[in-house]
Amino acid sequence: MRVLIVEDDQETADYICSSLRELGHVFEHAADGKAGFLSALDSDFDVMVIDRMLPGLDGLSLVKSIRSADVATPIIFLSAMGGINDRVDGLEAGADDYLVKPFAFSELSARLTALARRPPMQAEETKLQLADLEVDLIKHTVVRAGEPIAVQPREFRLLVYLMRNAERVVTRTMLLEGVWDFHFDPKTNVVETHISRLRNKIDKSFDRQLIHTVRGSGYSMHA
Amino acid sequence: MLRLGRTSLRLSLQFAFLYSVLSAVIFVGAYWFSNYEVRNWLHDQMVSDTEILIEIFQENGIEDLAKSVDVMAAVNFENARILQLMGPDGTVLAGNIERIVGSERTGYISADKVTIDGDHDDEISGYWVTQNQIGQYVLLQGTGNHVIAEVLEALGISLISGFILIMGLGSFVGVWVGRLTEQRIEAISGTMKKVAEGQLAARIPIDEASNDDLSRVSGSINSTLEQLENLVESQVQISNDIAHDLRTPLQRLRQRLEKMSSRDVVVPDDARAALEQTEDVINTFNALLRIAQIEAGDRRERFQPADLGALLANVHEAFEPSADDGGRTLFITPPEKPISVLGDPDLLMQLMSNMVENALRHTPEGTTIEMQVSHVEDHPVLTVSDNGPGIVAEDREKVFRRFYRGEKSRTSGGNGLGLSLCKAIAELHNAELVLSDNAPGLRVEAHFPPTAK
Repeated sequence: MRVLIVEDDQETADYICSSLRELGHVFEHAADGKAGFLSALDSDFDVMVIDRMLPGLDGLSLVKSIRSADVATPIIFLSAMGGINDRVDGLEAGADDYLVKPFAFSELSARLTALARRPPMQAEETKLQLADLEVDLIKHTVVRAGEPIAVQPREFRLLVYLMRNAERVVTRTMLLEGVWDFHFDPKTNVVETHISRLRNKIDKSFDRQLIHTVRGSGYSMHA
Repeated sequence: MLRLGRTSLRLSLQFAFLYSVLSAVIFVGAYWFSNYEVRNWLHDQMVSDTEILIEIFQENGIEDLAKSVDVMAAVNFENARILQLMGPDGTVLAGNIERIVGSERTGYISADKVTIDGDHDDEISGYWVTQNQIGQYVLLQGTGNHVIAEVLEALGISLISGFILIMGLGSFVGVWVGRLTEQRIEAISGTMKKVAEGQLAARIPIDEASNDDLSRVSGSINSTLEQLENLVESQVQISNDIAHDLRTPLQRLRQRLEKMSSRDVVVPDDARAALEQTEDVINTFNALLRIAQIEAGDRRERFQPADLGALLANVHEAFEPSADDGGRTLFITPPEKPISVLGDPDLLMQLMSNMVENALRHTPEGTTIEMQVSHVEDHPVLTVSDNGPGIVAEDREKVFRRFYRGEKSRTSGGNGLGLSLCKAIAELHNAELVLSDNAPGLRVEAHFPPTAK
């Protein structure tokens, strides 16, 4: 995966770069908005990480410029802690995802992976399949090994989210945002209890586990 | 202490100046007018006297005329009237004028040019003299100007004494009122000075009886100071709370990191625990910043119609399994028809979540928690109620303070910011957050402003 990082804080940039290197990704780093814009136009990336506060050209304007130059590469926006309107501003400017600093690298990594391999919009996508688990998006049915499984509407949404991101790590916050539209962090173990209920239905009576917990990061669905 | 800068004194001096200018104008006018009137009057008198004398001469001849002139000269008072009757050859036949120096025989003649039989009144400085022909005789008549002098003197004295009286009384009242006002202004500026030096509890003393402009100004300054003091106090309170609430986790983190740095090998469990503690600190910071930003109110720009029932159903669905696992029943009473408010859906969901989490956290197992959206009169009301232990009435306001935790809930986790955030979100939506007794338990209600239908 080729990643462009536009971040002026050297320590944060080093941290992101070295962590990406460990995961075997290729990256390019730009320390200000203008350099970032040139890099973004210059070469092909799978995903871009852009900081909100940048010297030269601020992050919001940079994202707008990149989009107006017809570059459709997914962008994840990094915001300084707390800017409550930043998420909406960033998404309106053309970013695809948004992450508040300080963040854990596992969170950034999960989101980058999800964005970079985001499948192109498939109009006719009607079924999802993982091993012997099948989800029908039209009929809202779940079948495992030929056995129909009854799930609640919210559990269905959770399962679809996990299956669409199969083989990848999905963090707790990604689930809160994607399944419940919660853009805040509840203190209650909302995600954990729902996952455990879903597991009871999907995995419990089968030998092969499909929903896996990734310690310190989140969850991953794979065969 | 007299200072020209003082408003009241300056005003009284200005009035005194205006009064003296006006007095001078009146004086000049009165002088001119009296002079004119008195002269006319004296002239008329002399004309009528002349007519009488002419009559006497025509009826009785020169001797009676001379006698009459002498009588008139003799009966006048302090020689204010002077007369002289001369024959055709210039010999003096009668009268009290001995001699007039100079050639002028009519009009105004200075008193020192006239020698008369007897003494001048000192106040007479000149005479108006007319000359008439009676037969072949010449009659000189004069009237002293002291009448005019008397009139003007009286006028002058009254104007000047009025001036002195007004100056004196005016400055006295000015200084007196000024001193009173100055004392009060001094009290205001003294108070402000104390406040500027950091004594925020200082207040301007107010006389309850008076309701003048200064009292009203003092009253509003006092209430501003009250507000300021409260704000500063809550700021101090918050800073202390932050310091206190973050010091403990930071201290634990530090201890763990110290222990880790003294070892050769880092144990992953230690590192993970350190990360979790960092996460706690960050979460507390984020919550504080979120409250501050919500309180700043710029989120209102993004308000849109939000279906309270749908948002509440989403929150219910999210928390229902957790409540169930924790041995509590969480149920929702949906509204009969959709209830919308203008607001921020994200924040409204956070408000609902915090209300529910608060109920989940502070109630024992077996508690029933009810979520509801309804209309009370025309206000949309969001309610989360439980049948748990509740909060005693005197503690209900305190729970909205940042980091406040009731004695019983000290150990039940949470950062003590949940309800502060609820209050901030409610206030952003102009909603009132009300805590009441659910008999038994706690009832938390958010009363939204009436929606236009």
